[in-house]
Amino acid sequence: MKTPMLNRRQVLRGLGGFSLALPLLPSLLTPSEARAQAAAPPKRFIQFCTDHGGVWGANMFPADPSAQTREYAGRTIRRGPLSLTVQSGRARLSPVLSADASVLTSGLVAKMNVLRGVDIPFYIAHHTGGHLGNYARNDGNGGDGTHVSQFPRRTIDQVMAWSPSFYSSLSGVRERALILGERISYGYSNPQSPQDGSDIQVQGATATSSRQLFDKLFPEPPGGGARLPIVDRVFESYQRLRNSNRRLSTEDRRRLDEHMQRVSELQRRLTTVTSCGSVTRPSQDNEAITWDPGYPFQPDSHAHYFQLYNDVLVMALLCGVSRIAVVKVDPTFSTFTGDWHQDVAHRATDTDGVAQATLTAAHQRFFETVMVDLARKLDVDDGTGRTLLDNSLLVWSQESGNRTHDSQSIPLITFGGVGGFLATGQYVDYRNLSRVFSTGEAERRWPGLTWNQWLGTVLQAMGLQRPEYEAADVAGYGVKYSNVQWAQLTTAEAYPEVIWSVAGEVLPWLKA
Amino acid sequence: MRILCTLFACGLLVACQGSIVGPPQQPPDNGGTPSRSQFSCQASAVPAELPLRRLSSTQYRNMLTDLVTASLPADASEVLLAVRSSLDRIPRDQRVTPAGTTHGGFTRMDQTLQQAFVDATYQVAVDVGRQLTLSSTRLGTLMGACATDASTANDAACLEGFVRRFGQRALRRPVPEEEVAAFTAVAGSTPVDAAAVADVVAMVLTSPYFLYHVEHGATASPDDSRLDAYELASRLSFHFWQTGPDEALLNAAASGTLNTEEGYAQQVRRVFEDPRTAATLDGFFNEWWRLHELDRLDARLGDPLFDAFVGADRPGPELHARMVREVLDMTRHVTSRGDPVAALLTNRKSFARTEDLARLYSMSAWNGEGEPPDFTDARRVGLLTRPALLASGSANTRPIMKGFRIRSALLCDTVPPPPDNAAANNPINLSPTSTTREVVEAITQQPGTACAGCHNTLLNPMGFATENFDALGRARLHQVLFAADGQRLGERPVDTRSVPQVSPGDLRESQGAGEVTRLIAESGRFESCLARQYFRFTFGRMEDTATDGCALAALESAAQSGASLADVLRLAALRPEFRRRTFR
Repeated sequence: MKTPMLNRRQVLRGLGGFSLALPLLPSLLTPSEARAQAAAPPKRFIQFCTDHGGVWGANMFPADPSAQTREYAGRTIRRGPLSLTVQSGRARLSPVLSADASVLTSGLVAKMNVLRGVDIPFYIAHHTGGHLGNYARNDGNGGDGTHVSQFPRRTIDQVMAWSPSFYSSLSGVRERALILGERISYGYSNPQSPQDGSDIQVQGATATSSRQLFDKLFPEPPGGGARLPIVDRVFESYQRLRNSNRRLSTEDRRRLDEHMQRVSELQRRLTTVTSCGSVTRPSQDNEAITWDPGYPFQPDSHAHYFQLYNDVLVMALLCGVSRIAVVKVDPTFSTFTGDWHQDVAHRATDTDGVAQATLTAAHQRFFETVMVDLARKLDVDDGTGRTLLDNSLLVWSQESGNRTHDSQSIPLITFGGVGGFLATGQYVDYRNLSRVFSTGEAERRWPGLTWNQWLGTVLQAMGLQRPEYEAADVAGYGVKYSNVQWAQLTTAEAYPEVIWSVAGEVLPWLKA
Repeated sequence: MRILCTLFACGLLVACQGSIVGPPQQPPDNGGTPSRSQFSCQASAVPAELPLRRLSSTQYRNMLTDLVTASLPADASEVLLAVRSSLDRIPRDQRVTPAGTTHGGFTRMDQTLQQAFVDATYQVAVDVGRQLTLSSTRLGTLMGACATDASTANDAACLEGFVRRFGQRALRRPVPEEEVAAFTAVAGSTPVDAAAVADVVAMVLTSPYFLYHVEHGATASPDDSRLDAYELASRLSFHFWQTGPDEALLNAAASGTLNTEEGYAQQVRRVFEDPRTAATLDGFFNEWWRLHELDRLDARLGDPLFDAFVGADRPGPELHARMVREVLDMTRHVTSRGDPVAALLTNRKSFARTEDLARLYSMSAWNGEGEPPDFTDARRVGLLTRPALLASGSANTRPIMKGFRIRSALLCDTVPPPPDNAAANNPINLSPTSTTREVVEAITQQPGTACAGCHNTLLNPMGFATENFDALGRARLHQVLFAADGQRLGERPVDTRSVPQVSPGDLRESQGAGEVTRLIAESGRFESCLARQYFRFTFGRMEDTATDGCALAALESAAQSGASLADVLRLAALRPEFRRRTFR
């Protein structure tokens, strides 16, 4: 039987076949960019996105900083060093930001930032996309939710994942972005050929368990005598249909293009060679933890579940098989057995303080057992003279600010300096304390700077330039929209034009 | 105290901007026969195109399972078990909801193309190829004796024959010669070994004709967009069975009988009678009525108030699924008996097969055979009084959400979202002194607030109609009032009177679920809603009443005229819109 072979397969076979890392997509970098990138240690981005929110500022944040003030965007902003107190073996920045002193050390705190006064400047309920910049993924409640749902955006993990500024080389990269959880990441249906924004779609989970993630990132090498992957033949079969004379509509062909782009990405991965030596497959899979009927009410199990993910994430980031991970956090980290959203998150302002105490304890557990756990695991030499954490940005964000569905001062807790881009060890407060939304609230709220500015800060820290991600009429990343209701402030008072004019800048005091 | 629901708690907007779709309607006894149709047919309208649909995750799994089973009957379970970890990576489809709401919608409408879908289907294909060819026994079963005999001279013919047989089943049509050549070329030169065959299998399972519903049409003429017989066979089987056509359908396509009206109608009847159709329609009713929104009912066990409320009827972890199953059994019963669409609303039989559910009806469990027993309580009037539509998982009923479900799911009304600050206002709690209705009225029906606009008219009245059932679905005359520690504080009579405004302008007062059900049945709006929802389920997209009016009107007309549910469900497949596509 005569088999017609394809040129690319011949090249692959001739050069060593499967073991060769051969980028199949054209390089998007100029040689000088590539050299510059090669010289700099790779940056990594990891964000954990917690549902609900509602932790009071008094429980979430350290004592007000006062070491330094500065006028910025029509307000006085403040910052101070993160001051760790240790008592009875517990280290503490705030009630939530506390942990055993053996793990939350002054060295680790020096690599943290705590940011207060970064707002999504309108009402947004039950959103999962807002953490990373797609405000359109909300429940459509109210005028604001309905309005912004018309403006879907890629989330910043996907902006980075397909940016040549972030991935100057895809050598060794198996997954551009690791997505753990549903409805947090959004991107183009065809990232190589985006349309007008109407083709923004959810990006599904990379894996649904820690071992599945490991297996996807570190597949067994093919055995001896294995045939070449057929993925290029698969690509050709779609190409053949697309270019055939058989009747297809224009939109049919566009769908085939989308599929072919995905096959190309698969093809790239299958020819990727990792350089991390041996890695050990985890002996335990975190999915098994969830099979216990009592799992929803077992905070230790919630912690264990994410710690097993953390182990694989560290391996992945160290090996460079991916440099982006976004994680949705929906377990409660509590023994509470009822409806968390209605009975805890929505009751966090009850005067009896019961729900607030439950929220605070749950968030503290998450901080200690997951965030600190991962930060410590990342704080190992990555071969650049710095630690993996030093070259990374690890972020913890929450769905809401101090009241569920209100998005003022959404807590932003970060670890890592992104290869020296960020100054760390500080608590920065961007709130405009001269303007309070309402004097009648159980815990007051003040307008801050915009989430757009935070997202833009992240993208710049990761090496992207503003023209690469900013829309023509929007500084920072996201949509330009603000609306204040049921407050003593007008929208213009809370979010004047000046805060939009600075939204493209790196948030003050964060640039090293 | 427990929060009932803050979703629709009071805000400050001025007016309800929702809509009750359909023509204004006066009570029939006021004279004349009001028009009940919401849709009209413009014969010249061209329906929207839904380009190159991919198989849903359910369809993909079913198709693969059928293919493996047909290829290796004895080892199918073992093969499927071996590829399960890859199969589990196929992304589950998400419900695609109508614009502006997170409720409703069908998973069939999810046409996102995930990288994970391409990755996982590729891996499954490779794994299945490897498994089907794992031993000479399997190879022989898969391809025939020619694959394992000593001769290599027949390898090429053996492979080609396999590609034609396996390919036809997988791709749901005969494999054209040029594609046979493309598939066999993947194997390489003879002799053909197992690994080469595995690659061929993988190629078939990653083909666009396997993963997508590729439809070229019967001819190339721009004026003719009819599907060809094989495409039609696939549409029919995937619609009702969620998998590819069987031998009989393929034969009907091959012989040309599927292209005849009589032959096609015969196949529609046969396919509809197959048990796989009932399973598919379970999915339709489950998503249409949002039965999946019913959470576990045992989450609050241990809470003193909840324990006191449930008493001896402590819900187990399976009760919510049994409640859902009971409703779906009712839909199967109505379908199989040839009952009209309205019987979905009015069927009064209990399909409770377990004691825990039957106890909520104060009846004995049905053993699943013979005629199910009739409800013994006259207040049980049909769908609205089945526990799956009443239970809340807490000690408190949820009249607002009950009303919302009837409005938006059963009547297809547009209900505006709650105002921005709904959650910031007083929560609706169980009260130690007032009924749930009284609490809801006090918070959401304050004169002069925007809440009152929607809650007075669209939401609360519908929900109040079933307040003579508690949050487990048990009938009651009084609402027992509890303290947070479970202490019984007293009871107050429940009130089910309301003006449900089933149709615009219908201000008749009703009392209880029976009268609301009657008003709904009279209005014809439930049937219109069925037409709308079944259109979405059938065609995998939202309807456009201007260009899809013909299909919608036909379904609506049949349903409102008393046609059997089965006939209405079959009708969609008999429509010309089902048998052609739009090319743009």
